[in-house]
Amino acid sequence: MSSAYDFPGGIHPPERKQRSNQVALMEAPLPSRVVLLLQQHSGQPATPCVAPGDRVKVGSLVAKREGMISSDLHATISGTVGEVSATQIVIESDGKDEWQRLPSLDWQQADPAALLARLNESGIVGLGGAGFPTHIKARVVERHAIHTLVVNAAECEPYITADDLTLRHYTNEVLEGAQIIAKLCGAQQIVIGIEDNKPEAIQALERALQHALPDSQPLAVELMVIPTRYPSGGERQLIKKLLDLNVPSGGLPADVGVLCHNPGTLLAILHAVRDGQPLVSRIVTLTGEAIAQPGNRWVRLGTSVKELLEHAGLKPSELNQVIQGGPMMGTPLLTLDTPVTKLTNCLIAATIDELPPPPAESPCIRCGECESVCPVALLPQQLHWYARVKDDAKLERYHLFDCIECGACSYVCPSHIPLVVDYHEAKSRIRLQRIEAAKAEYAKHRFEFRQARLAREEAEKQARKEARKSQQRRTPTNAAASSEKIDLRGLRIAHAAAKASVKKAEKTLARVAQEDPKQSLDDLEMQLATAQENLKAAESQLAQAKEQQAATAPSQNEDSP
Amino acid sequence: MSDTFNVIGMLSAIAVLTGLGIGFGALLGVVSERYKREDNPLVEQIDALLPQTQCGQCGYPGCRPYAEAINQGDALNKCPPGGEATIHALADLLGREPEPLDGEAQSEAKVAFIREAECIGCTKCIQACPVDAIIGAAKLMHTVIEDECTGCDLCLDPCPVDCIDMLPRSTLLTQWQPATMPSSKVIVSDRPDNALGGVHVERL
Repeated sequence: MSSAYDFPGGIHPPERKQRSNQVALMEAPLPSRVVLLLQQHSGQPATPCVAPGDRVKVGSLVAKREGMISSDLHATISGTVGEVSATQIVIESDGKDEWQRLPSLDWQQADPAALLARLNESGIVGLGGAGFPTHIKARVVERHAIHTLVVNAAECEPYITADDLTLRHYTNEVLEGAQIIAKLCGAQQIVIGIEDNKPEAIQALERALQHALPDSQPLAVELMVIPTRYPSGGERQLIKKLLDLNVPSGGLPADVGVLCHNPGTLLAILHAVRDGQPLVSRIVTLTGEAIAQPGNRWVRLGTSVKELLEHAGLKPSELNQVIQGGPMMGTPLLTLDTPVTKLTNCLIAATIDELPPPPAESPCIRCGECESVCPVALLPQQLHWYARVKDDAKLERYHLFDCIECGACSYVCPSHIPLVVDYHEAKSRIRLQRIEAAKAEYAKHRFEFRQARLAREEAEKQARKEARKSQQRRTPTNAAASSEKIDLRGLRIAHAAAKASVKKAEKTLARVAQEDPKQSLDDLEMQLATAQENLKAAESQLAQAKEQQAATAPSQNEDSP
Repeated sequence: MSDTFNVIGMLSAIAVLTGLGIGFGALLGVVSERYKREDNPLVEQIDALLPQTQCGQCGYPGCRPYAEAINQGDALNKCPPGGEATIHALADLLGREPEPLDGEAQSEAKVAFIREAECIGCTKCIQACPVDAIIGAAKLMHTVIEDECTGCDLCLDPCPVDCIDMLPRSTLLTQWQPATMPSSKVIVSDRPDNALGGVHVERL
């Protein structure tokens, strides 16, 4: 059943999934206090809309989305709002667990606008790890035609079993969620990509697809089982593997007509649409040798990691580090006093033998091992040299920004060089430089605007002065002043050029605004204003010159006879 | 007979070549006059390398005038906000020798901050600001738009009550950069001896 296509590179790290996938899904105990971070999605942080002391129920809106790419945030327990700060909202529980749900929507009948609005007000983001707001992702159809929805159930990272358990327990729900998104984006087929190390989930899916009523599954669903290899769960890798489509460098899957969603997200979408339940909890894998009862739990967002692990039987004496996410791409937590967010898919409480610290780094021996495992077919070795000497131009030429930071190169490096750390640092450095460059450009435009304004004011002042002068003394004595040659032609050319530049600035602004309504247009508006100031200055200079000429022309006529 | 033919041939060759020369010369002259560029593209490139603080520390009223002056042959080392990096970039672009910076390099990005309680509303700083980043009106309190301030210091001198401070620019958490590691040498023989020795001792 496996597909004939393939992506380059890839590795086979020890899977260690048995530790958490043998146990059934359970509910974590209700926390007595939750800390909701305002930034638990990509884009802008949300803005709080509650005050300390307010009563909230589960599902009450506590923070609104801010700007285009952002997401709403809801209370995850019922109780009172404690602290509201610039980064988080704290809610103290009253132990009642009262819910506030939105009305149920029938997705087969509801119109797309209502479905989009529901996704928006339910605060749903991609639960696979990137946290991109789902309603924005669904709106991609406005600019791209989508033909295939890919359900990314590969879950290639070791340890993590959250998607596996989601599929086993909520097979029909996930499939229905996929139908909602497929309907919303106009896809013609649904493809589920799953690695062959999840036999129970595959079986459950096969059974569900066989027994599905045509009513509930209007679109054809294809199940594709792929061999286990890290990182087949990468969006681009999976699309290559399943459909043999190459997502262009710097592009999105939508550029080749594909949309990719995680099963957890699809389940959350169904809950939001069918039950009117906003995103207040998610499935988290608790695993690692340092906890006694590993497994997957339904966890309310904002629960403290420490409480959660302690409830799962944390053995503090054996604990070396806690990793949020998988061992390949996750981040070690510096403190356990941190809340679960929409992006926490896995918590690994590892002992020192399980995930030992990497040995000391030694110099690169040019073995080329990293190059052969890179799933994006980059040259990690070259990137390593250039990242260390900060040669940013070369880094961009070697497509640093196509790196998905999967960690395969670091994993195989015989010199134990933390390659991905280097790339990550270089990326954030280059991003900062881009921001600084844009700022400098903006400052330049503001400076030009000011210069233009001053020139316009000066020209107008001059014009007024001249007008006053010519009114006061209509005597031939000022013939001396005005006899100096007026460069009327030069002024006309300047005026025409200023007019043309205003038109050009207007056109650019209109084009950019139409192409990408999301981005900020401040800078272009500033350039337009500068051009307009220049035009005004040229106009007043021209008018002044014309008047002068009109004033001098009769006097010359008088002189000539 | 052959002599006259040769003379005619010679003369006609000269006439044709002269004619071609004059013709193409005139064409080039017309084209260069017709499609004359007002701006100098090299000035644009130099201007793009300058930090655009418009601070005037180079002695010119803004970055663009300094770019024009550099194009005319002025020194490259008059831009303290740009620092060594800008000097090197300019030297690369123009094929000149980099010179040490004239003046003190700025240690960090700064922004102006008006102690609003002390501001008397004289509008002098507003007039001095090269990027219109100060808002306020006569006899009303002024304040600085932090995002648009380039940290040029030009508002400090005109202030009659000295109520403007230069503070370090606050950076967003999302733009946080890790403290730069001591640049580890890529090739092992370039490493300082102690580091190499340390590794050897550990291994043995």
